Amino acid sequence: MMSLEEISQKIQASAKRLLTEGKVEVVIGYRRGSIPMMAAPHFARTEDDCNQLIWTSFARTNLAGYLSKFSGKVAIVAKGCDARSVVGQVVENQILRENLYIIGVGCLGMVDTELIQAKEPRLYREVTEDITTIKLFGADWNTNIVKEEVLRRNCKTCLSRTPKETADELIGDEVQPLPNDNWADLKALATKSPQDKLVYFKNLIQGCLRCYACRQACPLCYCPVCFVDETQPQWLGKSNDEMDTLTFHILRAFHCSGRCTSCGSCEAACPMDIKLREFNRILEEEVQKEWNYVPGLSWEQKPPLTTYRPDDEADFIK
Amino acid sequence: MTEYIVKDKLTFLRALASSGYNLIAPISMKNKIQMAPTDPDKVDLDYLNTFLSPKSLFFPQTEKMMAFHKDLTKSDAFVYKPLGLDQVKPSVIFGLRPCDAKGLSVIDKIFQNNRFTDPYWNTKYEPSVKIGLACLNPGPNCFCTAVGGSPFGEIGLDAITLVRGNGFGLKTLSAKGEEFLKNTSGLEIGDLTGEIADLKKKVEASLPLPLDLSKVQGATILSIFNQPHWKTTADRCLNCGTCTFVCPTCHCFDIQDEQDEEGGVRIRNWDTCMSWLYTVHGTGHNPRPTKTERMRQRFMHKIKYIPMKQDGTCGCIGCGRCVQLCPVNIDIREVAKQMNQG
Amino acid sequence: MSEFEPKIVAFFCNWCTYGAADLAGVSRLDYPPNFRVVRLPCTGRLNPKYVLEAFKRGADGVWISGCHPGDCHYIAGNYHARRKFTLLYHMIEAIGLDPGRLHFSWISSAEATKFQEVACDVVEKVRVSGPNQSFRKAKLDLGLAEVA
Repeated sequence: MMSLEEISQKIQASAKRLLTEGKVEVVIGYRRGSIPMMAAPHFARTEDDCNQLIWTSFARTNLAGYLSKFSGKVAIVAKGCDARSVVGQVVENQILRENLYIIGVGCLGMVDTELIQAKEPRLYREVTEDITTIKLFGADWNTNIVKEEVLRRNCKTCLSRTPKETADELIGDEVQPLPNDNWADLKALATKSPQDKLVYFKNLIQGCLRCYACRQACPLCYCPVCFVDETQPQWLGKSNDEMDTLTFHILRAFHCSGRCTSCGSCEAACPMDIKLREFNRILEEEVQKEWNYVPGLSWEQKPPLTTYRPDDEADFIK
Repeated sequence: MTEYIVKDKLTFLRALASSGYNLIAPISMKNKIQMAPTDPDKVDLDYLNTFLSPKSLFFPQTEKMMAFHKDLTKSDAFVYKPLGLDQVKPSVIFGLRPCDAKGLSVIDKIFQNNRFTDPYWNTKYEPSVKIGLACLNPGPNCFCTAVGGSPFGEIGLDAITLVRGNGFGLKTLSAKGEEFLKNTSGLEIGDLTGEIADLKKKVEASLPLPLDLSKVQGATILSIFNQPHWKTTADRCLNCGTCTFVCPTCHCFDIQDEQDEEGGVRIRNWDTCMSWLYTVHGTGHNPRPTKTERMRQRFMHKIKYIPMKQDGTCGCIGCGRCVQLCPVNIDIREVAKQMNQG
Repeated sequence: MSEFEPKIVAFFCNWCTYGAADLAGVSRLDYPPNFRVVRLPCTGRLNPKYVLEAFKRGADGVWISGCHPGDCHYIAGNYHARRKFTLLYHMIEAIGLDPGRLHFSWISSAEATKFQEVACDVVEKVRVSGPNQSFRKAKLDLGLAEVA
C-alpha cells in the first residue's frame, strides 16, 4: 500500500508538472492545517505552494465547490466523491471540461474527528497519521487509533473510492469498497410509524443554528439566491422554529436530489454535528431505485430531474 | 477582595442553587457541554470549555422582543408590547471560563454604553452573578494569552474559582460577588494569593505568547482594509458563518416580524456578516458584494474596530472555537499576523 | 363537537383539472367544498416548497392535479413534474407526514366525473387522517398574558 508521504509527493510532482507545462493556472488541493486533525484547502500557483500540498485523512471539505470561482484552467486533487461532484458541475454547465484536470486519488476514507474524540476523550497536544492509523499524543500519553474504526459514515458505505473512470490521472492504489449496506438503517426507519419518523427527524435537527454552513460547504449549492434568502415572498421564518428548520432541511435535501455524491462536506461543516445526510440519503436511495441513476459517474448521462421517460412509473398518482 | 476555601463542590453548588437565584452551569447535552439552567447534581465540571459560547444566555439565538394580538374587541389590538423586560429571577452562572467572561464584557460594552442600552441584554446580564472557573489545563486550540487574556482572567467576573482537590479555591472580584457570596454557607476564609500566582504563572507558560498587533493598532483602517492578503485568505473561505455563530463576541442580529391569525411577534435572530443577505440593500445594491469583503469585515471588527472603540481590548478573546470549527481552517491567529505584517 | 372539515390546498393545472372543476360545476356535479384552489400554468410549475408551505401554514391536505401524461400543453411539463412528484411523495412519506394528506391525480378538462370522484376521495382520505397537528408551524406564543 502506498504511504501518505508517497501520495503527497506524487500530488506535488503532478502539480509542479502541470504548472510548469502551463497546462493549468492553479492546482486546488489540501495543505496541513494550523491545528491538529485539520486540513486546509490550498491553491497552488508556484513551486513553493506545490511543496505544501499533502494527502491526509482529515480532508473533509469537498474542493469541487471552488472550481467555478476560477475562470482559467484548473487542476483539482479529488477523492472519489469529490471527483463525482466535479463531474456534476460539468454536467450542470457550471464549469467547462476542457478547463479542468482531475488528479484522482484512491481514498481509504476520511475520519470523523467526533468519533476519535469519543474513543479518546483526553486532551491531545499533537496528532500524526499514517495510511492506516492515527496517533494521538497527550501531555504524558499516546494512543493509536485504527482509521477504519473511525471513518465517517459516508466513507464506510462509499462505492466510488477511486475515481478511475473520470480522473485524468490516478494517484495511489485502487481502493475497493467496504462491504457495508448503505441503506440498512433507512429500511429500518421506513418500517416506523409516521409519528415516530417525524419525531426522529425533529430530534435530528434539534440544535440547528440556521447558520446555513451546510449550504455554503455544499458544492451543489450554487444558486445566486437561495430559497432561504428569498424575502418576497419569504418562504421560511428565520427563528429556530422547529417547522421552519425542518422545512429548510427537507428542501435542501430536495434540491440536492439526484446530485448529492455523499461527500459529507455538509456534515463536516455543521458546527452542531447534525447528521444532515439522513435527509439527502432518503432521496439518494429513491433516485437510484426509480431511475437507476448514481450522480457523478458519467459525463454523458443526464441528471434524472432534467429528463424523463414517457413510461416513468408513478402508481401513487390517481 | 475576599478569598475563600470551599471544601466540597456539590455542597457549594447546592448552596448556589438555593440562594434564590437560578443556577446556570455546564451540563452535558447531546454529548456536548453547554451552559444551561440545571440541578446542582447534574453539573459536569470535567470540561475544557462549553461547546457554544455562553452569549446565548443573555442573547439567545432567537428572542421575542415584542408582540401584539388581533383581538379587535380589546382596545390594544395591533399594538406592539415589549416582552421579557420585567424583572426576572436573576441567575448565578457557575463555571464560566475567563475567556468567555471577557467575551461577554466585550458584548456588554456594545449593548450598553453611555449612548445606548439594549434592554433585552441588560435585564438578563446586569443582575446575574458570574462565577468563573480558572483553566488549569488549557486545550490545544486555546490562545487567550495571545490576545491579552489569561486562564485566570478576572474581566467580566464577579468571582473566580479554581478546582482544588474535592473543592474549590474562591476569590471574589466585585462588590456584587462579595455581597452574593457573603451569605453562602460552606465557605471558609482562606489565603490563596500565593497559590493563585504560582498556578497562573505555570498555566500561562503552557499557552502561546502574545500576538504582536502593534502595527495594526498604529495603522489607519484604510491601509489594513486594502491589504492584499484578504483576497488569498478569502479564496478558501466558504462564508459559512460558523465562526460568527460560535464566537463569544459576535453579536449581530436580524429583526423579523412573524404573524398568524391571532397575533404577531417581533423576533431577533442571530445573523452573520458572512451572509450575502446581511448587507444587501432594498435597492439590490450590496456594499459587501463578495466573500472577500464579508470575511474581511469579521476580522477587521475583531482585531481593529473593537480595540479602537474599547481602549485596545481585542475583539477576539482566544477561546479557539472558530479555529476548531472552521471547515477550511481559516485561523484568526494567522490572519492577525498577516494584518500586522501588512 | 361538529365533524372535522379538512382544509385542503389544491394546485390545479390551468389547462385541464381547472377546466374539469369548471365543467363539474356547470354540470351540477356535487363535490365537497373543502378546497382552496391555486391555479398553475402547468404542474411543472409546482415547486415543492409550495406544498411544504401549505402544510406549514396548517393545511390538512394538499392535492395536486394536472394533465394526463402526453397531453401537456407545453409538451413535457407534466413528465418532468411526475419525476418531481415521485421524489416529493417519497420524501414527505419518509419524513413522517401521513401519506393520506398528499394526493396527486391526472384529470383532463373533459373528465368532470373523474374530478368529482377524486375530489370526494381526497376529502375522505384527509378526513380520516384528521387535523394536521404535527406537520405545521405551531401557533405563535405571544406571551402577552404576563404583560398586563
